[in-house]
Amino acid sequence: MIQKKVCMIGSFAVGKTSLVRRFVESIYSDKYHTTVGVKVDKKVVNTPAGEATLLLWDIEGAESEHDLRKSYLRGASGYLLVADGTRSDTLYKALSLQTRAEEAVGTVPFLLLLNKADLTQSWQIQEREMDALRQKSWTVLTTSAKSGQGVEEAFLRLAQSMMEDHNG
Amino acid sequence: MKQAGVQDALDPSSAVSTSNDDETMAELRTLLLGPAEKQIADVHARLTDPNRQLEEVVHVLPAAISVRSRRDGQLADALAPTVTSAIHESVRKDPQPIADAIFPIIGPAIRKAISAALSGMTQSFNQTLAYSVSVKGLKWRLEALRTGRSFAEVVLLHTLLYRVEQVFLIHRETGLLLQHVSAPGSQMQDADMVSGMLTAIQDFVHDSFSTAKGDELQTLQVGELTVWVERGPLAVLAGVIRGNAPHELREVFQQTLERIHLQFGTALSEFKGDASPFDSTRSLLEDCLQAHYDSQPKASDKPAKLTPLNVIVSLLVIAALVLGFFWLRGRWRWDNFIEQLRNEPGIVVAETGTRDGKYYLSGLRDPLARDPAVLMQEAKVDPNKVLSRWEPFQALTPDFVLARSKRLLNTPNTVKLSLKDGVLNAEGFASHDWVIEARRGSRFLPGVNGFRDDRLLDLNRVEDPLLMFVLDSAELVPGQSEKFDALVHDIERLQAQAEAMQKNVTLEIYGHTDESGTEERNATLAAERAQTVASELQGRLPRWTNVTVRAVASKEQLRNEVTEADRATNRSVTFKVIATDAQ
Repeated sequence: MIQKKVCMIGSFAVGKTSLVRRFVESIYSDKYHTTVGVKVDKKVVNTPAGEATLLLWDIEGAESEHDLRKSYLRGASGYLLVADGTRSDTLYKALSLQTRAEEAVGTVPFLLLLNKADLTQSWQIQEREMDALRQKSWTVLTTSAKSGQGVEEAFLRLAQSMMEDHNG
Repeated sequence: MKQAGVQDALDPSSAVSTSNDDETMAELRTLLLGPAEKQIADVHARLTDPNRQLEEVVHVLPAAISVRSRRDGQLADALAPTVTSAIHESVRKDPQPIADAIFPIIGPAIRKAISAALSGMTQSFNQTLAYSVSVKGLKWRLEALRTGRSFAEVVLLHTLLYRVEQVFLIHRETGLLLQHVSAPGSQMQDADMVSGMLTAIQDFVHDSFSTAKGDELQTLQVGELTVWVERGPLAVLAGVIRGNAPHELREVFQQTLERIHLQFGTALSEFKGDASPFDSTRSLLEDCLQAHYDSQPKASDKPAKLTPLNVIVSLLVIAALVLGFFWLRGRWRWDNFIEQLRNEPGIVVAETGTRDGKYYLSGLRDPLARDPAVLMQEAKVDPNKVLSRWEPFQALTPDFVLARSKRLLNTPNTVKLSLKDGVLNAEGFASHDWVIEARRGSRFLPGVNGFRDDRLLDLNRVEDPLLMFVLDSAELVPGQSEKFDALVHDIERLQAQAEAMQKNVTLEIYGHTDESGTEERNATLAAERAQTVASELQGRLPRWTNVTVRAVASKEQLRNEVTEADRATNRSVTFKVIATDAQ
């Protein structure tokens, strides 16, 4: 069984915890975020490259890249960068957090998730912004922790990339 | 010049080369390196000649092994696989040499193992028994009921000094779990997540509180549980311990972690998420799953040893028991005696108790009541241990009134007394004197209000009548038939009473004469007169059973003969009643 550490990175209230909760059954309560600043959950996923156990480190929301604890990122095989599609500032924060994450763990697979896709009325991210990121060969997905849209896919795609990395 | 020569000699591009130069070079080399040349050749030979190398290793090998073994255990770790496979190979080829080698130790080892297992079994059996019946055992049973755990588990928890319940081997960089072992029966969460959180907490503590580089979280304490964290460069060993583990256990953790680093160094540094290479760390981690139980039986549980003090104490206890038994028995007998006295008629117990190691007893006693000394003997109470004081009194219960009446009235056995409503009844027959005396005396008897004797026959009625005879004849003086009839009637009553009282009565009839006549004639006449009356009575009442009539001639004269009346009186028969017990 291959185990992989995955970090959830993003600003406050972008929906990281909700995404994780959508994805796993947790044994720890959410109050760990306010005490230790991180909560670890586990999910076994099947990818074409094999079965993998994801250890999801859901790190508390960081407003700037200096708030992000590097020690929590250490050893991660991949990460999910989460932004709130209804607050464009969270996207820019995600970009700077990505720089910080890459400093900490190197170039490992990651996905950018634009969350809260169910709130189409107040959606602020333009398609061309996403395209610009895709130009940088980023994988950008829209997700909704509320409806479940894209959640499974996001975790699976990240797992798959990590497994390809592992085997390659 | 010389410098230029050297320059030339060292310059490979120099095209000019003469034999003269060669000689110069050889000479120069000899001059410069002459003394070292032999050494260089020697070093060269040592480096290239396998035989020489072998010799040298042979020379230092024992010392090197010895030095390294003293320093740490790495040599043993390094050699272990080789030695293991060598032994395997040896056994595979020919098991005999190994069998021969271990033969001397295998017997004692088996014996030791068996005796250890047996003694362990006995001890645990004893412990279970002890815990089952002790107060502690009951408490634990209650706890087992309350918590829903098994009794064995509760006993284990309470006798536990410490137990390493879980050991995590965690990859330091990623916080991913490499291996996890747990003691049987310990509760556990998902080890992968625990491993992650444990790492996160360490990072958190390190980032938040570290004062100096290298300071790390070493211990987490949660109630009865302690988490010990040992950190290596590539891996972290975390042990979850219940109870208070000794410091030596930390050294065990450290050594285990060092050994893992030594054996799995490469695997640790190349770890990418596949924990399978660390499967073989299991046995190492299991060595950390140590537990110590409070299996020492308490002093109070041990069977008492035969020490002089114990013997003395035992003897004292036995003596106390024996004395206690006798004391109790004495006490019990005394209480019984008192109880009997209280129930005894005519005895009133006023005070009882102990004084100066003796029982004392005081009260009232009717003289007619049973003797307390006899009662005491019957109750097996030692009279020497009793001080008693009795005041006489007269009990007024009917029994006592009656008994006292019989006694004070000097009642003959032909009279039966009974008491009814305070009235004394007399039945049977008695002398006239007694009847008179009883009538008089009964008035002074306490508890007696009256005296009835209508069913009592006054013997005067039989003994008093005087039947007179004609001078010098055995013929009754005429006109006495009424008197005779009355006599017969009274004798019938006597018969009835005698029968009722179970007495035999002899009615003696004495014939008397006056002074006239000869003595011989008078004797005959007296006998005839008595016989006449006897025959007459027997004729009248042939069915008497308890009354016997006997004729007796008496020389005795009833009166001094002064007048003719005296002489007439003397010509008579008199009666006497003699009562005997019926057979």
